[in-house]
Amino acid sequence: MNGLYEYLLAMADDELILGHRDSEWCGHAPILEEDIAFANLALDEIGHANLWYGLLAEIEGQDPLTYPDQLVFTREPEDYRNIQMVELPNGDWAFSLLRQYLFDVAELVRLEALSQSQHSPLAGVATKIVKEERYHHRHSSAWVRRLGLGTAESQHRMQNALDQLWPYTGEIFLPVGNEGDLASARILPDPARLQNAWLEWVSPFLQEASLSIPSEPSQALRRKEHTVHLKVLLNEMQSVARSESGAQW
Amino acid sequence: MTGTQWSRFQVFVQAKPGEPHQDFGSVHASDAELALLNARDVFARRPEAVSMWVVPVGAIYTKTAEEIQNLSSPGSGPHESQPARPETYYVACKYKQTGTQTLTGSVEATTPQLALAEAIEKYAGQSLALVWWVFPASAVTQSDPNDIDSLYAPARDKGFRMSTDFHTHTVMRELKVKG
Repeated sequence: MNGLYEYLLAMADDELILGHRDSEWCGHAPILEEDIAFANLALDEIGHANLWYGLLAEIEGQDPLTYPDQLVFTREPEDYRNIQMVELPNGDWAFSLLRQYLFDVAELVRLEALSQSQHSPLAGVATKIVKEERYHHRHSSAWVRRLGLGTAESQHRMQNALDQLWPYTGEIFLPVGNEGDLASARILPDPARLQNAWLEWVSPFLQEASLSIPSEPSQALRRKEHTVHLKVLLNEMQSVARSESGAQW
Repeated sequence: MTGTQWSRFQVFVQAKPGEPHQDFGSVHASDAELALLNARDVFARRPEAVSMWVVPVGAIYTKTAEEIQNLSSPGSGPHESQPARPETYYVACKYKQTGTQTLTGSVEATTPQLALAEAIEKYAGQSLALVWWVFPASAVTQSDPNDIDSLYAPARDKGFRMSTDFHTHTVMRELKVKG
């Protein structure tokens, strides 16, 4: 089941890295309520990552208590499988919100499909996570609409964010490992179908929010190449764990 | 609304089906839909909730028991000079100083002042509540029962840990005691 391992690792890493970026808003968000909301999002995403890492431990016959920490705190940037979109620095509030929105829809599309998987532990985790993602989407879509249709400045910032983010979205549903075979076995959904569903969801919504989708084609990256930003993020995130490896928490 | 602040919305939370909605505090938000979302993040991540209401603070007319006894006191909140058409007002009462405003019932009235008089008549019973709130039902934005699953239910599965649950806390205290 090596292909399934790669797939789960990719999803877990997406959640972890976005969760970490969201946590960086703690104490810095534009208003108190949004500060709390983003701290909640961060906790949720990291919690989802932990569920996927736990499933990986189960599949590998590893200790579910220590294996997630081992994956998170000892891997080098080149061993991470997250998409580049989630590792980009937070930018302004518009950028972070729009990234969250684009990711939330991707999660909803993917998890709804995964909750029908023939692999029942996988379907179980997806069913649990998708409930919270529905709330994340409520929150992020409410803001994207208001900022897109808000003032000239908020619209301008949102359009800038979309121009920057759009090229990275092509990586979200690129097949990981032997995903095709697993899709045939109805363990994983067909990635091309997910990509279409995502595009059909976000395109009209963004247009209604007065945002135009850049015509520039999406970058085709393969989750193995990262920007320098991931290295900086991991340096900070892993610094305590690495300073005393094997320490008891 | 003052200065750069958004409007304030009072948040009522129902912890379990059948229990009354209770005042949990307030959130700032640009509109009622975001107020409900903010209320979820601020007040319902850990404690249980099945329903939330948000009410613009400016829509709540309130009087304390003292103000009710002092007949000339105007109370706080909106004053309607012209009676409008009768509408439903919700009534929330607080019976102890340390308590919270709890949804008590509803009355039909044409102004907030008449609604409060009606509420006292209907609900004062043996003891007069310490603080009375009335607000029109039309000012309330309620969560959708279909949202329980994604908005409120996930909190039940999350562990809530006190700072004392962490080993380091105990160790630090022992170190401090030792000096």
